Amino acid sequence: MKHRGKGIGCMWYPIGFTVAANPSAATVKVNEDGTATLLTGTVETGQGSLTVLGQIAAEELGISTEDVHVVSADTDATPMDTGAIASRTTYVTGNAIQLAAERAKNILFEVAAPMLGVRPDQLEARDRKIQVKGYPQSALPVGEVANHAQNGAGTPAIGSASYNPPTVAMDPETGQGKPFSTYVYATQIAEVEVDDETGEVQVIRIAAAHDCGTAINPMLVEGQVQGGISMGVGMALEEEMLFDDQGRQINPNLTNYIMPTSLDMPHIDVDIVENFDPTGPFGAKGVGEPTAVATSAAILNAVYDAVGVRVPNLPATSEKVLAAIKAKRNADPKRVSAS
Amino acid sequence: MTDVSMTVNGEERTASVPPETTLLTVLRENFFLTGSKLGCDVGDCGACTVLVDGIPVNACLMLAGQAEGRDIVTIEGLANQDGMHPLQQAFENLASLQCGFCGPGVIISAKALLEENPDPSVDDIRDALSGNLCRCTGYTKMIEAVQDAARIMRGESADEAA
Repeated sequence: MKHRGKGIGCMWYPIGFTVAANPSAATVKVNEDGTATLLTGTVETGQGSLTVLGQIAAEELGISTEDVHVVSADTDATPMDTGAIASRTTYVTGNAIQLAAERAKNILFEVAAPMLGVRPDQLEARDRKIQVKGYPQSALPVGEVANHAQNGAGTPAIGSASYNPPTVAMDPETGQGKPFSTYVYATQIAEVEVDDETGEVQVIRIAAAHDCGTAINPMLVEGQVQGGISMGVGMALEEEMLFDDQGRQINPNLTNYIMPTSLDMPHIDVDIVENFDPTGPFGAKGVGEPTAVATSAAILNAVYDAVGVRVPNLPATSEKVLAAIKAKRNADPKRVSAS
Repeated sequence: MTDVSMTVNGEERTASVPPETTLLTVLRENFFLTGSKLGCDVGDCGACTVLVDGIPVNACLMLAGQAEGRDIVTIEGLANQDGMHPLQQAFENLASLQCGFCGPGVIISAKALLEENPDPSVDDIRDALSGNLCRCTGYTKMIEAVQDAARIMRGESADEAA
């Protein structure tokens, strides 16, 4: 007989470690055609970080994302980056890029101010123009200002900057301190169906509410959450490296190291909980790894809700779930299973 | 050596290869069509999926000699000078791929589905993609993209509710 259950998992996750140096650096160059070139050391692995970093540069410079040419991960040409790790790229690298773009923008403001007859602090960068705040009709195209900066004023519009979340030593006596710059939070709710004759768990649906600060690119945030949930489903129910007594893996291929297919994945509803973090670029924090954290807890709580058994070690394979159901029946033979 | 000839993306191609050579190896190393990926090499991951006479096949499990005289379509055969195939366009629009390694196989499997069933349900799509493993995306945006492409190929607009 199949039983349905629902379970909740909640989590927090740290963004921007501060226990050791954790720097990123960037260079932003505004070109005479109004485009910009961004140099960053970070690596794109498909999560869309270069899109998000290009958006950050574009937003600061008042140009379009498609105007930003991103050069990344070329050790001959780009600054070193601590890495596409620890869900730090949007936050740490993004902060470095925003600072670098701001420096380039400030050069544009210095150059444009006398051209527009105002002070630099009266200017803003919007809609591919440097314009007077409150008087958008008084404006110059970004490219024209960049050209004048290069060929008239002799101050090319280039900004370089680095960002390191302030390193804080841990107390050597207590181990206490402030190990991270900021935190993200999430709740996931899983609905499962458990077959009490086979122990098979089918995840029907997962609703995932994630705080990532400002969602700079909501479509990519959704993709990260959906992908993280697939890793969480695998962790909860399927994925396990098995070793023999010589330490050799006995399931070193995808025939017997089982990971979720399209048939194993539930319907997923992603709810992005927008929130502004004043220490992040345009309020952003991060989203990568946190997406996989709450899933297995939610699924295992849902299994408990469905059939009243706890599986204390992951993955909760059908064999383990069935053994737990049988143990429960043997301990309480009058109760066949939970309702 | 064995001489093999087949139609690949509409062109007659021939190669002279050792008899144990797989279709995937011929596609990648003789015909330089590297879109089909070598993943697990034992038929588990689906990254090498191609169409053989319209049927999705793991090219790593098929000998080149078995493809003799057949009609092969790889991911390179989908786009033309007018633009991308509706499936490719939908995958791009929805950011359905992340690292992209599984993408050529996923899109070929989806193409085979849509040729057989122009109006598939979500369960039909899950079934059609079940032989293509993806570690990044959770398949969610792929399923949405296949639905969008199906609507476009039926002459509807992509964003109509399913």
